[in-house]
This record gives sequence, structure tokens and C-alpha cells, in this order.
Amino acid sequence: MNLMTERNLEKAVNDKMNAQPNAIKMQGKEVTVHYGDKQALFGVSLDVPEKMVTALIGPSGCGKSTFLRSLNRMNDTIEGCKIGGKITLDDEDIYNPKIDVVELRARVGMVFQKPNPFPKSIFENVAYGPRIHGLAKNRQQLDEIVEKSLRRASLFDEVKDRLHEAGTGLSGGQQQRLCIARAIAVSPEVILMDEPCSALDPIATAKVEELIDELRQNYTIVIVTHSMQQAARVSQRTAMFHLGNLVEVGDTEMMFTNPTEKRTQDYITGRFG
Amino acid sequence: MSTSLVFLIVVAIGVVGYFLGRQRALSKDSGSVKLHSLPHYHGWWVFLASALPAILFLAVWAAATSLYLERTAISELPARTADTVIASQSLELGMVSGIARGLNKLSSEEKANLPQTFAELRPLLSAKGVALAQDGQDYMIPIAVEWNKNSVRANTIGGVIALALAVAGAIFGLSGVHVRARARNNVERIILGALLAASTIAILTTVGIILSMLFQTMTFFQSVSPAGFFFGTVWDPRFAAAGAEGSQGQFGLIPLLGGTIYIAFVAMLFAVPVGLFSAIYMAEYASPRVRSVVKPLLEVLAGIPTIVYGFFALVTVGPFLRDLSAALSGGYAFIQAQSVLTAGIVMGVMLIPFVSSLSDDIITAVPGSLRDGSLGLGSTRSETIRRVVLPAALPGIVGALLLTASRAIGETMIVVLAAGVAANININPFDAMTTITVKIVNQLTGDLEFNSPQTLVAFALGLTLFFITLAMNIFALYIVRKYREQYE
Repeated sequence: MNLMTERNLEKAVNDKMNAQPNAIKMQGKEVTVHYGDKQALFGVSLDVPEKMVTALIGPSGCGKSTFLRSLNRMNDTIEGCKIGGKITLDDEDIYNPKIDVVELRARVGMVFQKPNPFPKSIFENVAYGPRIHGLAKNRQQLDEIVEKSLRRASLFDEVKDRLHEAGTGLSGGQQQRLCIARAIAVSPEVILMDEPCSALDPIATAKVEELIDELRQNYTIVIVTHSMQQAARVSQRTAMFHLGNLVEVGDTEMMFTNPTEKRTQDYITGRFG
Repeated sequence: MSTSLVFLIVVAIGVVGYFLGRQRALSKDSGSVKLHSLPHYHGWWVFLASALPAILFLAVWAAATSLYLERTAISELPARTADTVIASQSLELGMVSGIARGLNKLSSEEKANLPQTFAELRPLLSAKGVALAQDGQDYMIPIAVEWNKNSVRANTIGGVIALALAVAGAIFGLSGVHVRARARNNVERIILGALLAASTIAILTTVGIILSMLFQTMTFFQSVSPAGFFFGTVWDPRFAAAGAEGSQGQFGLIPLLGGTIYIAFVAMLFAVPVGLFSAIYMAEYASPRVRSVVKPLLEVLAGIPTIVYGFFALVTVGPFLRDLSAALSGGYAFIQAQSVLTAGIVMGVMLIPFVSSLSDDIITAVPGSLRDGSLGLGSTRSETIRRVVLPAALPGIVGALLLTASRAIGETMIVVLAAGVAANININPFDAMTTITVKIVNQLTGDLEFNSPQTLVAFALGLTLFFITLAMNIFALYIVRKYREQYE
């Protein structure tokens, strides 16, 4: 399997050896999604283990982004979207009418495909979530949260002298790390990433990937990616989607070296998709 | 040979040229070398080369001809003395051209023994359906005859030249048809020229309007000092009897400007919250179905002529407010039927669709990814709107509001009917005030000549208004443009 570098393989093996059986953080059971008359997901059941990176792969239009967006109910904002089945967060049904969607999204944060910093200063971008949720009692605490989040997103050193300049003035990669810092600032339990590197150059991509690897110490991460190499580099578990179905899910190492399904093998070796 | 006939012939030559050109291009297409332009481009090029110069020439010639005819006629008119019957030379000229037009309707026999006096000519022409003024003079008849002769001569010369131009153009166009001729590019250049000409006309018209107001305003400032106009606090333009001295009147702009701004302010106070909130509802909350019904309905408001709003203010809102205030105070109506409040509210209703439609566009233009980002952090919709969408859209909204305000300041019909005519300076919104536009209408209504400050002041007012709204529009466009650079 030439897709995995030796270093990654070694790391994956180490992970495997050190791995405790992680608890299930989020769970989808027979999830179906309709956009109007069109069905996008056909009964997907997928577990998301805690403090691991789960990668969702598959060709365009296979439903992986749809599944990701239903994990924090971002699909609610799309007109005519209907969701069936059951999705739980810590064994709690997130589509239960009693659930507060706003609170759910604070627990399950999201980073989008294109960096979307608000047209505000860098500081205000990161402080946005804590302000809304009242996480800081005073200015000092807010400063601390912002600094900690920026540090976790490995952005602090690059921007510490210009915290009050516009966030939109940063480079693409910095903007995306700013968006990650913004998501971290509300202390979510799960972070969803929808192709976070697709608008970035290779160097910026490498930085974000490095960051994702660090973040899994503290957060459960689900990432949608088009890049096989990226899935292999950053994730511990991989789920392969095709035409709205979950084809296969398993440890990343196993998926890339010895997939059980032929479709997975064809996809990761570039024969279709 | 009449000009319209020449025009038709020129076009006909052009059409023939089109087909010949296309035919010629087709015949040149040997197959070995590809034609540079499609045959119909060659056709169009021949058409334009023949018809366009000829038509342009006809237009210029027609203008020059009428100028020439007038000059000749003026030189033939008897010198004006104190006892010339007709009041002005332009009136005399008008009569001569009227007679000349009438003479064209006579048969050649009648023309041969033309009556020598106007008294005889008038019934003859009115039998042909040409009505002439009563006080025409005998000496005008030979001048009119001469006018017609000159006219025919000029038209013939012009027509011949135009036709020659058309034929020459067609030959020039046809001779240029060959395989690699760039007819397509030539046609493109002419289209560009036509578009450019259209926009030039729009700009020149604006310049013309400003100049015409400027000259009248300068005449006005010869009799009233600019300081007295711009800083005067009393508006009292006495309509003096012609020739009466010493009753100049006072032309203070301040009370009018105050009323204009006050009424516009009340209108904005009413229109901005309603318009903005409905824009937010439509851009952020309304389902596509609701939006597709509500938005056109709201925009219908923009299509109502403002005079209709004026009626509404005059017969409904004004009396209602007056009766309401009477009921509230127990008898004394402290709100007058014509008041700042009445005009402001009705104008506000008129402005709602402008505010909401412009703001709606601007709010919708804020990228959806920003909304997603905010919602994804766990904020509610209204938090997202308040903290992300509106701040991002703010410059655009300010621009939209400025555009709306300049409309409010220039609005005429509503205030004419609803604001009153008393030029007061006060801060009580229940009293009548008046605006610049109302006074322009007042000063120009009636049978007046543009030679006294009482009427000329209207131009000074108009120019002032023009510059106020122009400044606001430029500022608004500047802000809107600056905002656009952010996202596109």
C-alpha cells in the first residue's frame, strides 16, 4: 500500500497497540436524509468513537457531507430537508424535540470547507462563541480563552501582534486555523470538519493536519475529506460512503491495507470516484 | 422630395446593400480559404456603411435647414419699431412658419393667384383646416412664400446628397467584401459606438438640465443676494404687481430647508424600522413560498404614483390624525390636518418598499457561509443576524438608507397635498411646515413669466435641491461600492 508512508504506518501500528477500546461518543442508527423528493442517505449506521479522528471518504455526492451535517443538525437550515433514523450524542437522541439545537451545536462544533471568518477582528472572531454562551465572566477570562484557543489552533504566535486586525486579512490557511480556534473556543466535545483543507495549499494543509492530530487528545473529530492520503494521515477510523450508503467502516490502517469490500479497494486505489 | 421619403429610400438602398453584400461574400467563399466573417456580417457592414452616414447627414441637414429658414425669414421681416403690432419677434416668426405650413396645403391653382392680404388668406386656409392667429399681417405672406421656396430647395439638395452618400457607402462597403475582410469586427465597432452614443445622451441631458437651471439661478441672484437666499430665515416672496417698485419680498431658504429635512426625518423614522425589519424577515426567516408572495406585494407599494399617496394623506390620514388628537385632548385638535406628522407618515409608507427591497438585496448578498459559521457555533438565528449578518451588511444598508433619504427630500406630490404651504420654522411636528419642492410648485403655478425673482427663485430652489440629493447619492454610491469590494 504505497498510499501510506512508512512513518504513518508505524504510527498507526503504535496507535493500534496503545489503543484502549474508546467509548462511543456519537452514534447514527439507520439514518436517512431526504432533500425534498431526493433521498441522499439510505439508512447509515455509524459509530463515532471518543477522542479519535473518524474520516468519512467517498466520491462526490455520496452523502458523506450530508451525514456530517446531520450530526449537529446543520441540515435543519436547509429548506425541505427531512431526517429519519436516530442519532445520539452520549446516548441522547439529538433529534428529540426537547433537545435545544443551539446547545447541541455548542457541544458539536463545525469547521467548514471554505474558511469563513466573520468580517471582524481576529480577537472578536474567537471571542464570538464565548460571548454568546457567556463562557467568560470578565475581560480577563475572555482574553485567556481567546489566547488558549489560538494556541491550540497553533495560530497564536503568528497573530499575537495583530489580534485586533481583520480576520479576513489572514492567508487562507491562517483563516482556516482561525475558524478552528473559533470552534475550539466554545469548548465543544465533538468537532465536525467538512473538507477543511480543500481550499488550502499543501503547506497550509500540512499545518492543519498536524493540528487535527494534536486536537484528538481532547476532542472527538469527524472529518470529511476527498484526499485518501489525508484520511490515511490523520484518522484512526475511516468510513467509506457510496451513493448514499455506508460501504464499509473500520480502522484506517485496515481500510487502507486490507479492505473487505471491492468498492473500497477500487476507490482508494483511484479506480473510480 | 420630403425628408421621410429620402429616409425610406436610404434604408431601401441599405437593405439592397445587405443582400448584395451577403451574396458577394457567399460567392467569395471558395472553400479553400475560410471566410473571416459569416456572410450576414458582410451584409450588415454594407447596410451600415450605406445607411448610417446618409441618415446622420439627414439629421444634421434638417437641423441646419430650420436654422437657415429662420435666419432668412428674420432678415426679411420689417425692422421692429415702437408701434409694431406683434409683441415679440419669435411670435412673428411663429406666424410666418404657420402661414408657410398652411400654404403647402393649397392646390397649385390657388397658389398661382394667392390673395395679397391676410384677411383674405385666413378664411381660405381655415377652409383647408389650418387655423391661424387673428392678428397676422399682410407683409408676412411673401415671406412665407419665400420660406416655402427655400425649404423645398434645401430639402432637395439635402435629399440628393443623402442619396449620393447612401449609394457611395454601399459601393464602398461592397468593394470591401473579400475573404479575409473583417466585417464582423467592423460591425462590433459600430455597435460599441451606438451604445456609447446612448449613454452620452443620458449624461449630456443631465448636464443640460444643470446648465439651464444654473443660468436662471444666476439671473435670480442678480436681484437677490446669495447670502439673503441661503441664510435668510424669512420666506415671503410678495407677488408684486408688474412694475411695482420696492416690494421685493424675502427669499430665505432656511424655513424651507428646515421643513424638508424635518419631514424627511419623520418619514425615515417611520420607514427605516418597518422596512428594515421586513427585509430581515424576508431575507432570513420567510420560506420561499411566503417570500414569493410577500415581496411582490411589498413592491407594489413602490409602484403607486405619489399623487395617490398625496390623496391618501389629504383625505384619510390627515383628518384621522386631527380627529384623533381632538378626541384625545377633549375637543381641541392639536394635530393639524396638514402637518409634518401627516406628510411624514405617508411619505414613510411610500419609502418602506425602497428600504426593504434595497436592504433585502444587501442582506441576501451576505455570504451564507457566515451564517453557517455562526449557527455552527451554537448561536440562534437572531444572534446570528444581530452580530454577524447586520454588521457585515451595515455599510450597504447605510448606503441604501441614504438613497432612500434623498428620495424623501426630493419627494413632491405628497408634501404638496399633506404638508401645507406655511413657511414656518418650528419643531412641533403637529404643525404645518413646508418644503423646497412645495415652494417650487407654488412659485411656478399660474400664468407667469420667467423674469421676476418670484418665479426665478424656483430655479435657485431646484438647483439647491439637486445638489443636496446629488451629494447624498454620490456618498451613498461610494459607500455601497466600498461594501461590494468586500465580498466580490
